[in-house]
Amino acid sequence: MTWRERRDRIAPHLVIWPPILVSCCYVLGFSAWTVWVSFTRSTLMPDYAWAGWRNYSAMLASRNWQIAYTNLLIYGTLFVVLTIALGLLLAVLIDQHIRAENIYRAIFLYPLAVSFVVTGTVWGWLLNPTIGVQKLMHDLGWASFRFEWLIDRDMAIYTVVIAGVWQASGFAMALLLAGLRSVDGDLLKAAQIDGAGRVRTYLRVVFPTIGPIFVAVLVVLLQFAIKTYDLVVALTAGGPGLASTLPTVVVYDFMFQRGELARGSAAAVMLLGSLAFVLVPYALYQRRKRRKAGAHA
Amino acid sequence: MQHHDVGRRAVLAAAAAALAVPRAGAQLAAKPKVTVISQWSSGPSGAAMVALGKEFEQQGGTWEHNPVPGFTTEMMNKLRAQIIAGDPPAASQLKGPEIAAWSKIAPVVDLDATVQQAGYEAVVPAELVRLSKPHGQWIALPIQAYRINTLFVSKKAADRIGLTTLPATWAAFNAAAEKMRAAAITPVANGGIKWDDGMKWEIALCGISPEAYRKAVMQLDAKTLKGPEVLAAFRQFRKLGDWSDPGRAGQDYTTFIPRFMKGEMGMLLMGDWAAGVYKRGGFQVSDYMVGPAPTDDGKIAFDLNSDEFLFWQNKEPEFQEGQRLLAKIVMGKEFGPLFCQITGSIPVRSDTDLSAAGFTNQQREASRSMGEATKANRIVLSLAHNMAQTNQITAAMIDVLTEFVHDNRISPEDGQTRLSDAVDNVR
Repeated sequence: MTWRERRDRIAPHLVIWPPILVSCCYVLGFSAWTVWVSFTRSTLMPDYAWAGWRNYSAMLASRNWQIAYTNLLIYGTLFVVLTIALGLLLAVLIDQHIRAENIYRAIFLYPLAVSFVVTGTVWGWLLNPTIGVQKLMHDLGWASFRFEWLIDRDMAIYTVVIAGVWQASGFAMALLLAGLRSVDGDLLKAAQIDGAGRVRTYLRVVFPTIGPIFVAVLVVLLQFAIKTYDLVVALTAGGPGLASTLPTVVVYDFMFQRGELARGSAAAVMLLGSLAFVLVPYALYQRRKRRKAGAHA
Repeated sequence: MQHHDVGRRAVLAAAAAALAVPRAGAQLAAKPKVTVISQWSSGPSGAAMVALGKEFEQQGGTWEHNPVPGFTTEMMNKLRAQIIAGDPPAASQLKGPEIAAWSKIAPVVDLDATVQQAGYEAVVPAELVRLSKPHGQWIALPIQAYRINTLFVSKKAADRIGLTTLPATWAAFNAAAEKMRAAAITPVANGGIKWDDGMKWEIALCGISPEAYRKAVMQLDAKTLKGPEVLAAFRQFRKLGDWSDPGRAGQDYTTFIPRFMKGEMGMLLMGDWAAGVYKRGGFQVSDYMVGPAPTDDGKIAFDLNSDEFLFWQNKEPEFQEGQRLLAKIVMGKEFGPLFCQITGSIPVRSDTDLSAAGFTNQQREASRSMGEATKANRIVLSLAHNMAQTNQITAAMIDVLTEFVHDNRISPEDGQTRLSDAVDNVR
């Protein structure tokens, strides 16, 4: 073996192992530590006396966690569905070979460049009835106009959905647009020859072909939704009252505000479980797809 | 640690000297040093810490302040990390029952001898003494006090409804608020985030009955929590909520200060630090009236918030010297004027002379109130500012209060039940 061959054989290992070791240490190591702490009696400081499932049952029974998880279901579902729908609409519209396409793409993608805290703050101002849109309408003379979701405890979580969709739909658009552009020209021509109209071509030919991209966008957005923290903190501070709190906010609250390390860890582990709930099926789906592709080849 | 080129002879001589007078030698050699962490990074509090640092250095010490901006809990996270790493600061800011809780997780310095020498215990309010020596000996030193139950009234709003003196009772307060509402003024200028919500309720209860407050909030007495005074506090709290700006959800009280000063909003129930915020906003003392929040029996009640320093044990003689020096400065008579003239808070020592020009009338009045309330045993400790209970219990109670005030479907009776249930769950 020449030194060059040897180098070529060693180089990939040198590149791949450090990050793997680092992520094992930090991601897996600290996740494992959190799981461990969640079974202990830790409060202000880690305390390794065994507590069993007590922290989990306490968290599951707590009002904060129940509100937060209900909110996550509402927010997660609406956020993902609306973001994909809006992103798809934008992508299809831009796909019509319009003029100045780049400008539109930049405009729609721009919100992604804004941090969640900024998004939350700005939407907080816009939606606040005494300073935002409602006031504008009143000043313009439409005195009966009401838009008070931000301060309505039943509707506050939907303001988080609005801000979240505004932020992420450009991202969905970019991925889906790339998908639309990747569809084989011959397929489109064939559809045209068969007499399919524009709508029908999209519905029957284009969308099914980019199915995998939908799945990818779905997975990215879902884990986005589960991890949402700064948006809701900046937009509603979890309020009014506790009405728009999310699991991440509860985790932070218990761990770092209340000094309840073990309960906060239990909440964090349950949140990690929710992420696994999304990511594991996706991994299985990918594997099945690969195997199928292998069988065809 | 610096390495010096030292001759072998010098080392031997030094070693011999050290052996000869080990104790005295070590102490003479150590230049007092402290590392301090607090949440006071900027504004008046940051400036006060800088002033304290200068004083410390003037008295021959080395001062190192590492502020962690944000809430006290943010600072606690840094403190926790340092304790886990085995490297706690020489002194850290802490308050209320957290002093007792944190002193159990790492060794703290016993300050009994120093405090006795300074004759400090006699000049500090008994409630603060109790918090500072949770296990019988002094382990923390109070540095400043704030009055939570302070009422600010916008001068312009007051003029519009012909209000010339502060309402002394809740009935008078409510009458003034109704007048303001009739004059299209938003009567209450408070914000709508958790601690602000909790504070409005505690000010209501403190004004209704300090005795009930002490039992319900500080001792978590089940009977008082279900009693008539707490229910009355919930009713008053609901009124305060109804009189606030509907858009206050999630907003800090400071957002409303411009409207308050313009007379579009009437009254603000806030700790006396709000005066410092007005001052920085360019407003004058003549723009508002200030004094104690209403009490139903017309007597003085004082809802206390106070910051303290806790000293963490350190083996290095330089730090031990530093802690001794810092304790001496903080307990000294000159410290109140030095620190509180900058922050606008109340000096802890009851024998501090507040006639100096650096103090405001508001500080003089609040300090007098604190003295009188101490004598009359009508000082209570703030819930929302983590003086009455540990964070865990406080958070559970504040959750109930903030939900209640933002949801008119919860009746005061239900609110009260939820509060006592929440207390039972964390007790």
